[in-house]
This record gives sequence, C-alpha cells and structure tokens, in this order.
Amino acid sequence: MKYLDLAMNAAESLGAEYADIRVQKTTDEVIFLQNLSLKNTSNSVLYGYGIRFFKDGAWGFAHSNVFSDEAVLETVKRAAEIAELSAKMNRPKQLRLAPERSYIAKYETPVLKDPACIPLKEKIELMLEVNRTMLSFEGIRRAMFYLVMHRDEKLFGSTLGSRLELNTQWITPVMTATAVHDGDSQSRSFNDGGRAAGWEWIESLNLIEKSKQVAEEALIKVKAEPLGPEQRRTLILDPNHLGLTMHESVGHPTELDRVLGWEADYAGISFATPEKLKNYRYGSEIVNFMGDNTLCEGLATAGFDDDGVPGQKWFIIKDGILNEYGSTRDTALEIGLESSRGCNRATYYYDQPINRIPNLYLLPGKEELTPAELIADTEDGVYIQGQGSFSIDQHRVNFQFGGDFFWEIKNGKLHRPLKKVLYKSNNPEFWNSCDAICDERFWRPFGVINCGKGQPSQTARMTHGASTARFRNIRVGGSQ
Amino acid sequence: MNPLFEKIAQFVKNNCQADDYTLNISLGDSHETRFAQNGITQHIAGPNLSINLEVAFGQKTGSCRVNQADEETLKYLIQTAQDIARYNRPDPEYMPSVGAQELPKVDNSDPETRELEPEKMVEIVSESIARAKAWDATVSGMTEKHLWEVGLFTKNGFAGSDTSTNFGHSMTLKKGSVETKVSYSAKDFGGFSLEEELDRLGSQADSLADLHDFDPEKIPVILRPSAWEELLWFMAWMMNRRQSDEGFTPYTGKLGEAFFGPKFSLRSTLKEARLSALPWDMEGIASKEITWVENGVLKNLPTNRHWAKEKNIEPLSVYNFFIPGDDVSEEEMMAMVPRGLIINRFWYIRTVDAKAGEFTGMTRDGVLYFEDGKVRHAVNNLRFNEIPHDATRRILALGKQELTSSIGLMPSLMIDGFNFVDKTSF
Repeated sequence: MKYLDLAMNAAESLGAEYADIRVQKTTDEVIFLQNLSLKNTSNSVLYGYGIRFFKDGAWGFAHSNVFSDEAVLETVKRAAEIAELSAKMNRPKQLRLAPERSYIAKYETPVLKDPACIPLKEKIELMLEVNRTMLSFEGIRRAMFYLVMHRDEKLFGSTLGSRLELNTQWITPVMTATAVHDGDSQSRSFNDGGRAAGWEWIESLNLIEKSKQVAEEALIKVKAEPLGPEQRRTLILDPNHLGLTMHESVGHPTELDRVLGWEADYAGISFATPEKLKNYRYGSEIVNFMGDNTLCEGLATAGFDDDGVPGQKWFIIKDGILNEYGSTRDTALEIGLESSRGCNRATYYYDQPINRIPNLYLLPGKEELTPAELIADTEDGVYIQGQGSFSIDQHRVNFQFGGDFFWEIKNGKLHRPLKKVLYKSNNPEFWNSCDAICDERFWRPFGVINCGKGQPSQTARMTHGASTARFRNIRVGGSQ
Repeated sequence: MNPLFEKIAQFVKNNCQADDYTLNISLGDSHETRFAQNGITQHIAGPNLSINLEVAFGQKTGSCRVNQADEETLKYLIQTAQDIARYNRPDPEYMPSVGAQELPKVDNSDPETRELEPEKMVEIVSESIARAKAWDATVSGMTEKHLWEVGLFTKNGFAGSDTSTNFGHSMTLKKGSVETKVSYSAKDFGGFSLEEELDRLGSQADSLADLHDFDPEKIPVILRPSAWEELLWFMAWMMNRRQSDEGFTPYTGKLGEAFFGPKFSLRSTLKEARLSALPWDMEGIASKEITWVENGVLKNLPTNRHWAKEKNIEPLSVYNFFIPGDDVSEEEMMAMVPRGLIINRFWYIRTVDAKAGEFTGMTRDGVLYFEDGKVRHAVNNLRFNEIPHDATRRILALGKQELTSSIGLMPSLMIDGFNFVDKTSF
C-alpha cells in the first residue's frame, strides 16, 4: 500500500529516529441470542491507521480513519508534534528501543472454513437449536448464546524497512443456561474462549450435545448445597479454570511494563520484580510456563507483534523459578534484555500498542496421569470446572477465584455437587502448592478474548492452556 | 447539529429500503497523555467516528457499524444491515424505532475543555512530575481530553444530537512503600485545580506513611466517594427490571419495599449542573428525573422498551448517579464508633453470587485505621466479600457529596460491619 511508504518517508524527513504505521481493518460479526430472541445480529468494520513516531526518547501516536495523501501526512505531522511535546518532558529520562531487524513477510491464520463464508442462516439455526435444547429442560429460565467472529487485516511498515501483511482471525462461541430453583438462580456455561480457527472448530464441538450437558449441570448446580466454612483443602482444577488463574496470577505479573511500574495508575504493578529473575521460586518444581506466540490456534499468534518483532517461544517460569518476562521494544532495555520478546499489541487501529501477555501455558506433567487417576488419588478435596468470580490485588499477589461447576471429592470419588465455592490464595503460595499435573493427552487451550488493560482501555487476546492439576492446602469455602 | 450528521442521516433516509431503521452516530476527538514513573510513556491523539445502523424488515433485524462517512462506505453500511435483516430470523421481542420526542435541554459541553491545548496538558503532567520529584517519589497517571458529538435518527422521526466534553487527570504516587491515587474527571476543565489535587495527593501519602499489619474482620468503614462509586457500578448493573422479574437478581419482588437502608437514596437527575446527562438513552427514550431508591425503598428499576411494553410500565434508563449526602465530616464519623477503617478506593470488584448480589474486591490506594475518633496509622490492603444493597442497611452516616466522575455525585458513606475476609502483603 502506497501509504506505508508515504508515511515512513514523511516520518524520516521529520527526523524520526523510528516510526511505524499500522493500517488495520477490524471486522466483527456478532450474533447474540437469548431465549430465542435475536438481541444482536451485527457486522462491524473499523478501518484506519495509527502512526507511531519516536524521537528523543519519546513516543507520539496519532491515528486517522481518512485515507488520502494529505490525511496521512497530517497524521504523521501530528504524531511528530506530540512526540516532540513528550520529549521535552521526558528529558533526562528517555525511553529507549531495543534493536530489531527489518522483515518482509506475510502471515495468515490457517482456517479450513472461513466463518464469513458460512451463511448467516446456518449460524442462526445452530444457535436457535442450542437455545431450544436448553429451554426444553424444566427449570432452565434463560438460555444464551453469544457468537463472535473476528478478523484483523493489518499492513505494517516501519522506518527499519519492515513491510508486513498480517491477517488473523478468531471465533468464540459461548452458551449459558440459567436455572431458577427455590429462590436461587445459578448458571452453567460452555466457554472455551476464542480460538484462531475457522468454522470447522464450531462443527467439531458438537454444541447441541454440549448444550444438554450445560443445561443438566445448571439444574444440578442450582439444587446443590453450598460448601461449608472455609478451611484448608485440596483443589483439583480443570484446564478451563486454570486458564483464568494463570492469566491473572502469572500472565499479568510477568508483563514487563507492569514490572517497570508503567501501569501503576490503573492496571497495577507486579510483585515479580527484576531482582527475582532466575532465583525466585514462583511455583513447585513441576510448574513450567511457556510464553509462545507461535502456538497453533493461539490468539496471540500473528507472525509478528505491533513492534514488528516476530513471534517467539520462551520459558517464563522454568522448573518453578521465575525465568523471564513478556517484553516489548520499549521495555526490554530497561532491565538489560538485548531484544524484545514480541509482546507489543494494540486492539484497534486507533490504539497505541502496549505490553501484553503472550500465549501462555502450563506445560503438562511428564508422567502419565489422567484426571480420573488424579481424583482417585485425592482423599478429600474440591474439583472445580470452568470459570467464575475472579479478583486479584494490583500487585498480583492476593487472589480469590470461584468457578462454574464444583464437586466435593471424598475418598477418591466425586461425592456430591456443590455451589458458591470460592478459594483464596496468593503468590507464591498457590503455584508452590501444585503437586500433580496430568499429562499432555489432557492439555486443553483456553483463549482469552477480553483482557482489559491500559489507559485508554484496550482489550487484548491470548491463549492459555493446561492439563488438569492438583493444589494442596488451599483455603476453600463458601461465599458469605 | 453537525453537518456531517445531517449528511449521513439524509443519505440513509434516501437509500435505506428497510421498513424501519435507527441510526446512531458518534464523532469524537481525544488527546491522551499517559505518564509513568515520572516520564511520558504514551501520547495519543486522533478522531473517532462511529456510524451504527439497525434496520428491520418486519420483525427481522440486522445492524452494521462503520467508521467512515464516504458514500461507498455508507452504501456498504445500508446494504450489510439490510442483508443481515433479510436473512435473519424474526425477533419476537422486536420493537419499532422511537418517533419524535421532546428532549430535555442539557449542557454537557464546556468551552474551556474544548479549547484546552496539548501544550497545557503536558504542562499539567510536567508540574505533577516536578512535585513528585520534589517529594522524592514517582507519579504515574493520565491527562485526557475528550470531545464528543452524538446523534440519533430513526425512520419514525426521531432526530437528536448532543455535544459533550470531558477532562480527566489522574495521579498515582509511589513513595517508598506508600501508593495512593487522586483523580479528577468532569465535563469542565474549569473546575480542575492541579494544586488542590496535588495537595490531596501529598496529604494522602503522608497519612499512609506508618503502615501496620491488620487482619480481616467485620468492621465499620468510611467509604470515601470514589470507593463507594466503584461498588455502586456493580450494584447498579444488577438493577434490571426484567432480570429481576425473571428471578436472576436480588431485586426479584422487591419493588416498593424498603430493600435498602433508610439513609440511602439514588437518583438520575437532569437538575444537577455538575453532572453530565445524555438527553436520550440507547433506545431513544428521553431522559427525565428518576428516583431509583428513596429512603431505602426500591422505587424503580431500569427497563428496556420491550419489557416495559410487556409489563405495561415506562421504559427507564440510568444516565447518571446522584446520591444525596448529609454533610457529616470524617471526624464526626470517626467519633461515632470505637474503631474502624477509612477506604480510599476499591479495585477489581467482581460478582461472587449474582442472585445474592454479592461481590468481592480489594482495597487500593490507602487504608487508614482509626480509633477513639482519630486516625492512628495506615494498614495493609484487604479483600472484601460484601452485598452492597445489604451494606446500605448498615449506613451509620453520610458525608458531603463529591463529584466522582462526570456522571457521579455522591457522599462518603460510613457503613457498619463491612465484611473483610482476607488481606494482602502490602
């Protein structure tokens, strides 16, 4: 596209030490069905470009939705003016960019069946059938189905000479049944998050069968008993649940911008400070977390990040020890790293990219172990499936999680269903209490599509993953 | 009205073949200067346009949103929305678009905010950082200015537009182990005093210097307005007439009852000049004075047009939060109980139990312990599991109203027996 060269030439003539332009078209198809009523059937296209201008240790970022030579040049000029204003303020504390080479490359999410090519009628018929199935269960008062198909088409050019074409897409189906019984109301969902895949993933899920299970479990849950008072118990957590736990307690604390205090005013900072690198016991020896922006079907897998840095794979926690962070070009040098790990991502064209969690997952256990064997090996505990309430302090130390479906374990068996279960723990207690992880056959991904961070707020996507794992001696109990 | 809005509305009127349509347009211009650890880390500027068209053929609906206003894109907008509607299934809850209405006169726009230059915003950041350095501390935050124009047009004759402004400046100070925050967010830049904000920041930081360990318990708290507003957002989110009628919220069957404490009232108002108020809601219903809770009695719940029709009641939406205060000072509140805590803000509030209306969250930016009528020292942050509507029944006193945002005016609340369940290490 001619605007890439036009913008980068203009930026160089205005004295940029570095600049880039990201032309981005974001398309969302959303269908939301509740109790057979189509609440939202929409298509959204946001198209524009953002220009970053770096000079004298400061950024300027300007964006526009007008595609013309004049508008592009005006936007470059505005970014340059803003950078100059920032630079005056930043002396002597200047930002620095880690070195990076140029790339000419193209990336496309591999899909077999493009969701955009599936007729609307087919999507809606599937959703209606799921709704009808859930509502056919006596006691189910609300059935919801939320389907989003998202596509980003990006052209990236930088003054380093990079020219990238990055086309990514993901899809997410979320279905929820809510039961009302005896003055209480409880919901159960199928929610594997988003996946960088096509309609073939939806077809593989067998959603009609899953909707029956979801409705049945909502009814079991609303009639279940709450757990008694809080006490130290054993927890077994399924991969879907762990996706959220690791997101909050490992993903965010290891974003380098938080570690540096750049999110102090809103999203918070991190207890996992640089002096802890390579020596801090974050988890037990079986706990290994990978950052992996090359993960197949991963939501943060895009070939390159919005710094033009290629996707990479690295240990964030290795054998339980804090190993490295997720970093960007403007954070890496602050702690002496030689280069960025490629974690700079923006949501829309008008967002300045910020340090984001990569695809981040817990490696499976090395010994053969099934979830059934893990439960059989547990005398007294609670098994949690799916995601519920979640809250963590702004240093990412203390947290409380709920879940979506709960079983009490007695003598190695699922004893009775429960509701309103919460557990409280903290870093590093929680991950150090992990004493068993099922093997790779049981590893499942969970794709986060709405990770909120930044001022102004942005929502990023990344994929987590785990096999079912066990945690000892955690405070578990009912809500109020 | 913005000529661009008129042009888009006319184009849609001339070209849309659907039985009905609703056109929403918003045009914004924002400037955001973000700083952290005494330096600027991000600096963002640019316009934002959003054009959303919802059409209907009979009860079959479809919508499309674009962000460009050229003829080709507008044709795409209409065609896509119409195509979706044609292929869609009928929506049994479909409501035709609203017709012409008499809209309230509101003033959401401030000329001084409109004229605020980026140089001045950077100057504010610069002075904030200079003060932090003088305190041997670091400051992080954001200075932002937003200008918005919104318009709503329907096939049935509704045509309205409104302009609004917002200025915000937030500062989180870190000095040693002390972290605390102040923020200003309002439609008018004229009401902002950096000196006052910095004085408040410095005073809060000084009060937090002596940190003691404190175990969670049920204890009286003084929730400063920003803390209460955080909690209110979540409580208000549950206040939905349909969800309550269908049994999903704690408000089921509670309309007309004294479900809240007698000292608690909640309104949305057009009469308070400091508060912004959209003249119409998302469905095009004109805003008006609404009492949600009066002296503890649940009077109304937000209701969309479909459910209002089903129940033969008026559709209502929340457009701002006005909670009357009582002018009791913090000193007077502290004297009312033997001991308690003062909470600056909450953080990361999430639902624990939707039906019970129970939430969890953490304190943030400073917790003070008082005893015998005086602040004794700061304490570590704490986690709560609490039911806000139930907490209003334990209100012991209300303070003076403060502007918490452009749509929030509320007092500090002294609440007995606030349920803290865990603590953190700082």
